Amino acid sequence: MTRPRKNPRTERAAHRVEGGARPRFDLAATAKETGRPRRDPRGEERLALVPGTARRRLDRTQRIAATAISQAPAPSAEAAPTVRIIAEPAYLVAVVPDASGGRLTPHDRQLLGAARILADAGGGAVLALAEADDLASAGADRVLALPVAGYDPEAKALAVQAILAGLDIRHALFPESPDGGDLARRLAAMTGEELFAGAESLSPKAVTRAAQGRRIEQRRAPPRLISIKADAVAAHSGARHEARPVEFGFPAIALGAILSADFIPADPAKVSLAEAEFVVSAGNGVSDFNAFRALVAALNATPGASRVVCDAGLMPRAAQVGASGTVLEANCYFALGIAGAPQHLQGVARCEHVVAVNTDLHAAMIERAGLAVVADAQQVMPALLKLLDKEAGG
Amino acid sequence: MRIAVLLSAGRHAVSGRPAPVPVELQAIRLAHDLGGEVTGLHAGPDAAPLKDTLGHGLPRLVHHRITVADDPLPSLAAALIEGAFDLVLAGRTGQGGEDTGLLPYALARQLSLPLVPDAAALAEGPQSGTLSVEQALPRGARRRLVVHVPALVTVHPAAPAALPFAFAAARRGAVEARPGLVAPRAPTQIEERPYRARPKLIAKAAAGASAAERLKAATEAASGGGRLLVDPLPEEAAREILTHLRDIGVLRSR
Ligand SMILES: Cc1cc2nc3c(=O)[nH]c(=O)nc-3n(C[C@H](O)[C@H](O)[C@H](O)COP(=O)(O)OP(=O)(O)OC[C@H]3O[C@@H](n4cnc5c(N)ncnc54)[C@H](O)[C@@H]3O)c2cc1C
Repeated sequence: MTRPRKNPRTERAAHRVEGGARPRFDLAATAKETGRPRRDPRGEERLALVPGTARRRLDRTQRIAATAISQAPAPSAEAAPTVRIIAEPAYLVAVVPDASGGRLTPHDRQLLGAARILADAGGGAVLALAEADDLASAGADRVLALPVAGYDPEAKALAVQAILAGLDIRHALFPESPDGGDLARRLAAMTGEELFAGAESLSPKAVTRAAQGRRIEQRRAPPRLISIKADAVAAHSGARHEARPVEFGFPAIALGAILSADFIPADPAKVSLAEAEFVVSAGNGVSDFNAFRALVAALNATPGASRVVCDAGLMPRAAQVGASGTVLEANCYFALGIAGAPQHLQGVARCEHVVAVNTDLHAAMIERAGLAVVADAQQVMPALLKLLDKEAGG
Repeated sequence: MRIAVLLSAGRHAVSGRPAPVPVELQAIRLAHDLGGEVTGLHAGPDAAPLKDTLGHGLPRLVHHRITVADDPLPSLAAALIEGAFDLVLAGRTGQGGEDTGLLPYALARQLSLPLVPDAAALAEGPQSGTLSVEQALPRGARRRLVVHVPALVTVHPAAPAALPFAFAAARRGAVEARPGLVAPRAPTQIEERPYRARPKLIAKAAAGASAAERLKAATEAASGGGRLLVDPLPEEAAREILTHLRDIGVLRSR
């Protein structure tokens, strides 16, 4: 695996004697090495071999080898990550991410990517108006948290308005999400400025949006207030930025008109599959559907199924996940006895975490999963139920 | 309770012909279920396409006649002040106009009304003179808010479906035409051209990647391979799965 690779053409060129009409070669001269290591297919196969099974099984993604290596001491000479610092920005691009629970959503990251496009076009810096971890790698130069607690959009809008008036902000970007879009519109009504709502593409020169029921495209140079749709702009993927906290003297902000706000979590048994947060799904490998239903209820999840199961009438058609069923937006997908056909995996493409239980090591679902268990679903389900029961009791 | 429902000149999503906006029909239903005197308000050149709303449970529609070049905001504001409504309902966004969803916000600002966005259900509040609004959040969650009336509430598509169309109700309902206020729109820098659908971003696949690469990016693990357990005992597998689910925070430990 580490033997140097032979390149016959460079070797021949190295032996060549210059001059003369006919090509001549001096075979005694030593050839230069290319430095590229040579592949050792047998060694690679040995690494991919899954230990402890009677049948010869290969794990081509080499997760077993990878975990073995990662348990070994990590190499100490790790290059320090470079941080891009913009000390004297020409202007600021403010971003108001949703960042619910202190975590950036993918939409928030795209928003910061858009802000980087606008800031890098003229030497500006990105100011994130929320407290969240990971703002530095998402591309924020400055961070300023808004002094608003609980659900009070009116007070939040007043705080952002104070920042817009007090700092040199050329653009303010909002996500076109329920809360972000609401805030952007409140601010537009408050300041009387034009809001470019629901931008679908963005460059330093122009933003576009759909109007008149997606019959007309409107475009103009980026105004001050822009709200951006999800999946319109790519997230920032370059060097880390500084994410330095800055100070701002907020004026006293009056409370909004909302008297009380209670959060009501969704009932997982009733929400539609497209909206569900956590989906537990059964495939052709599940035969004990009573245990499956009990497990779904115990995990507080929404039930799903593969097409084979729906075709067989074991689960309702509305539960089908995949290209011809529902495309999930879930955070976590737990697949029991599902092979992972491409049509099924398309439905899971947007799920962040996947857990799979399957008897077949080579199933595509096992490859897709973050935690893959090669085991019989009919035995894992009762074990899970028993464990959940024991935890609830004890 | 006196309720006004703002109705916009919409277009059908598929045929593109003038039609009421579905979410505004849902707003009529919310107003109807809350009970009280319901009035529809429209400012625009033509109210004929909105006659269907009468069949969906709206008893009366007031049409403020303005030209295409006029801004409907002043006419609607004047009508709302004159009507002294307790509750104003509007759709989340229109469908067929500018589709920005800005008008309710500008109206609420002009009339100094509190605005509650994205209502999925309405009910009388705990005290008299208050309204309890169930706000639709992503992933089927809800937030219950209490506000004082008068208030402006926008309606979310997650609200109950519109009342079915009834021909007799459409015949019975009345459209009342009044002159609106002349208010030419402010000029904007916006250029318009026919819509061109843009490809949505697909995670990780670079622009110009082959179809096979895009499929791979769409179906492969987000974080390049995770943990693999081969033939564990069922109890061990169960423990590992529960720990993993707790780690990623989908399973709240009771
Ligand atoms: C046009 C078209 C559209 C389609 N759309 C969809 C779609 O939207 N959604 C969809 O799901 N499918 C769709 N399909 C079907 C898809 O191609 C697959 O046939 C289907 O997803 C397979 O379902 P499965 O994985 O449950 O079944 P199988 O392919 O039969 O796989 C069963 C899996 O369970 C495992 N298993 C068996 N026994 C056990 C056990 N005891 N414990 C644990 N694991 C076990 C097996 O190893 C196997 O991996 C579509 C197909 C076409 C042609």
